[in-house]
Amino acid sequence: MAGEADDGTLSLTGWAVPEGLASLHALLEQGREAHSEIDPEAFMMLETAVVELANNVVEHGRPRGELRWTFTLRVLPGLLEGVLADDGQEYDGDLDAAMPDPLAESGRGIALAQAALDELLLEREDGHNVWTMRRRY
Amino acid sequence: MQIEKSVTDGVTVLRCDGRLTMVAAPALRSAVEEAIGGGARRLVVDLSTAPFVDSSGLGALVNGLKAARVAGGDLRIAGASEQVLSVLSLTNLDRVLKPYAGVAEARDGW
Repeated sequence: MAGEADDGTLSLTGWAVPEGLASLHALLEQGREAHSEIDPEAFMMLETAVVELANNVVEHGRPRGELRWTFTLRVLPGLLEGVLADDGQEYDGDLDAAMPDPLAESGRGIALAQAALDELLLEREDGHNVWTMRRRY
Repeated sequence: MQIEKSVTDGVTVLRCDGRLTMVAAPALRSAVEEAIGGGARRLVVDLSTAPFVDSSGLGALVNGLKAARVAGGDLRIAGASEQVLSVLSLTNLDRVLKPYAGVAEARDGW
């Protein structure tokens, strides 16, 4: 389920499953097309981070396969902000994960999201893990 | 994502068509494994029609690189988009997986 508010904010709600990732890509594409005046690299980096955190929710969120998520994209002056909120158990992973060795086959997700963003916040609000991702443009 | 395999002059090219993400990464791992099992030693993963790669996709590329090297061969990547070049750089993977502009450049001198 996707929608656009009067202020241009785009949002969607869905199941936190691998098949749900395509909807996130589509919403970010919609945002990029609506804001051709903004450097596409900013959207590209935000999309990179959103997908990593969404992957993280799909893989590590509990109870697995039963979570719902809401994603909101706001285009603010000089700033893109994506907020991904899931209704799973409280996330207790490490937000400051170092980038693994180049020959590692896993463990890059959070580190890549951090590297693609200017700011990454995680808060627990009303039974939801709320990931706020900010990328300046 | 679709993966199309072609073999010319001893070089196996795996062309990925679509996003190389969590959903598609296992297919690339299998395709590389199958190619090496069939005797391929020089592999090029053509990403010119894969506009987006996530960390799962990067993991599959590293897995393929290591499998090729263990078998006495190598794996190269070609045609990476701006997003792919950015994530290779942000993760320092460009140190072990040098991106070639296209399949022709990857094959050149191999």
